[in-house]
Amino acid sequence: MVTRPKPPLNVIVVEDEPLIALDIEMMVEDAGHTVIAEATSLYDAEAWSNDLSPHLAFIDVQLARQTSGLDVSKLIQKRWPDTIIVFVTANPKIIPDGFDGAHGVIPKPLSRSGFMAAMQYLQKGVCDPPPTVMQPNSFTASPAFAATWKV
Amino acid sequence: MKQKDDWQLTEMLGYEHGRGDPFAAAVRATRMAMVITDPSQPDNPIVFVNEAFQELTGYSLDECLGRNCRFLQGPDTNMEVVDQVRQCVKNGTDIAVDLLNYRKDGTTFWNALYLSPVKGRDGNIQFYFASQLDVSERVEAQQQLINQKEIVDHQVSRRTADLEAALEAQTMLLHEVDHRVKNNLSVIGSLIRLQIREADEPATRAALRTTMERVDALAAVHRRLYQANDVRYFDVSSFALNLVQDAISTGRDRQIFLKTSVQRADLPSQQAASVGLLLNEILLYLLSSRVGVHSMHLSSQHEDDGITIVLASESTLAMQPLEASAISKTLIKRLSTPLNARVDWSVTRTGHSASVYIPRSE
Repeated sequence: MVTRPKPPLNVIVVEDEPLIALDIEMMVEDAGHTVIAEATSLYDAEAWSNDLSPHLAFIDVQLARQTSGLDVSKLIQKRWPDTIIVFVTANPKIIPDGFDGAHGVIPKPLSRSGFMAAMQYLQKGVCDPPPTVMQPNSFTASPAFAATWKV
Repeated sequence: MKQKDDWQLTEMLGYEHGRGDPFAAAVRATRMAMVITDPSQPDNPIVFVNEAFQELTGYSLDECLGRNCRFLQGPDTNMEVVDQVRQCVKNGTDIAVDLLNYRKDGTTFWNALYLSPVKGRDGNIQFYFASQLDVSERVEAQQQLINQKEIVDHQVSRRTADLEAALEAQTMLLHEVDHRVKNNLSVIGSLIRLQIREADEPATRAALRTTMERVDALAAVHRRLYQANDVRYFDVSSFALNLVQDAISTGRDRQIFLKTSVQRADLPSQQAASVGLLLNEILLYLLSSRVGVHSMHLSSQHEDDGITIVLASESTLAMQPLEASAISKTLIKRLSTPLNARVDWSVTRTGHSASVYIPRSE
């Protein structure tokens, strides 16, 4: 029997635009979860403590200091293979077809309703899969992730 | 041998016609260069050339007689064509080819050679007859044409490469600008959401929330623009569907059901922002009192003259007039004008509906 995490979830936010980062963190907390770490570049992410146990990570693709969210995604997959990784980007087209092992994408610009709906859906997917609510427009699951929820 | 003795030669070969024969005289006098060779002798030597041939090649009669025709060839003569001629001589068939030949002074000319066997009564080949025509001008013109085509082809491919590079640069610029617009819209949304948290007054919060919803609608338009394959168009139907789905999914109250009947309806991209805000405003208006609303309807129809989108709400409560803010009314009116859109409102026993007709823009 797999033990599923229970809310509040531990969330990582990777975003180089300070106000958007603040906004995402506040929406995550509004949804009842906890932001345990943040980063604006791959360098910040490399400095994270191994003691963290993130359930969910929101990652922008174009990051500070010429680094890429795709690399942060790889780092998280290596350190915490169970973490659900969601890209948050204004250019969803640059995400590779297989999502490079990540679980989904929320396209920017964000709307509060879209982000909250995606949060709700992800919470179901993490704590009580498969999610029973309809997938919101604001969230696209990676093919591999969507497949794990199919009965 | 002197020219005036030529008749002796024609007599020699033309014993069927005899001396003073008009055909032989014509061959001697024609401006077409002609040669006759004798395949019965070793190496098929020339036995006759006319005056036109001597003029064309610069060789005199004496210099030609007894030699094989190959003395007209030179370093740039195409040996494949020479082989074709040789094959025809061997097989006793005729041939017409263009061949580069050399004059006595070393200059070249393009020779339109026609070679044909002459058979005797017994059917055996007695002679070969060949005529030569200087077609240098034609061949050179052709060559020039080929060269010019190569130059033009080269210029076209260079120009095409330039245009492709320019297009790529433009596409990159579009993506860069698109990316910045989206990021800025995200920042604007963030700023408004921050302000909402700070606001104590319910009225202030409501006003800021409405502003946020308008900015979100604009953001939703930009999420869709330039992601489609054709950047010139914007599918207003799928946009409206997402807008309504998002609006009813955030309601903390009970579930609102959505019934849809939508067709793809493309509008030019430059109308996208106006249409997006207009539909959002109508939706805000219909949902201004969520209490009692149990379902929403969305339908869209694409016809030749324009697009019709119908948004409707159904309520369990007795219908009450909707309270639209003055700014909502102003926005609907102002946004409709440049689109030439018509918005018709109707109230039924169970709910409200708005029909938006957007004519095709020319």
